[in-house]
Amino acid sequence: MSGIDETAAELRRRIGGQFGRSLHIRTLDTGSCAACEQEIRLLAAPHYDLHRLGLFFTPAPRHADLLLVTGPMVRVMDTAVRKTFEAIPSPKVVVATGACALGGVYREDPFVHGDAGKVLPVDVWIPGCPPSPLALLQGLLVAVGRLAQKTPGLSFTVDAP
Amino acid sequence: MPLWFARGLHRGVVTSRYPARTDDSSVFLPTPPAFRPVALTRSVADELCAACPSGALRREEDVLVYDLGACTACGRCAEVAPEAVVPSGEFELATLSRSALIKRIPLAGPDR
Repeated sequence: MSGIDETAAELRRRIGGQFGRSLHIRTLDTGSCAACEQEIRLLAAPHYDLHRLGLFFTPAPRHADLLLVTGPMVRVMDTAVRKTFEAIPSPKVVVATGACALGGVYREDPFVHGDAGKVLPVDVWIPGCPPSPLALLQGLLVAVGRLAQKTPGLSFTVDAP
Repeated sequence: MPLWFARGLHRGVVTSRYPARTDDSSVFLPTPPAFRPVALTRSVADELCAACPSGALRREEDVLVYDLGACTACGRCAEVAPEAVVPSGEFELATLSRSALIKRIPLAGPDR
């Protein structure tokens, strides 16, 4: 494991200890189609009930610990994205959500950055179009170190006919 | 009073864990594709790349590069080549690094 990885692992452990059971989430829509927002909204519904896991939504970035970014990062949102990110107190976690924010759908579009990683220091990536509420929940718990990530072990190949 | 709440008051931790088993409804979710390397030839791989609307697939010589992050699980690749592509059933896919979402699938089809 390289030095940077060790630092990241250490930071993650510390953040996990701090936010493990009380994490406030600020969502930021940077031009998404609102499908991701629909799924994020469902997290608060009784079926998924993210409050029982110690996760909460907050309308104010100054009260937030985690920035949940959706959409392909349209360039007109640059100022808003920067202000929101700067307003969140450190330590903070940035989670990119959905195929747009991961650089999938609007890769070539001149009006967008097309990838949240080009604008923000993203810590956790949640694929899906849109990611289901359980996928979002898993992503949030990976972000605070309460669940292990699963994808690096998956090959996305099948052998049997 | 729900049992988990009483237990939480006793332990001093009132939050609960991530569900131990996945939701019954998750079988109806559209999930990203899984590929069958033995059915993948260069021509099939090119067809899949052409069918992908979000640029999640590209071919590098004898390797199909699949970007899970860009995939929208639309299922068009499975329509084009149902013998080579099936739904993976995986949806808990969050990672700490973007590069972990890029999968390299070697083509192993006949006369590729």
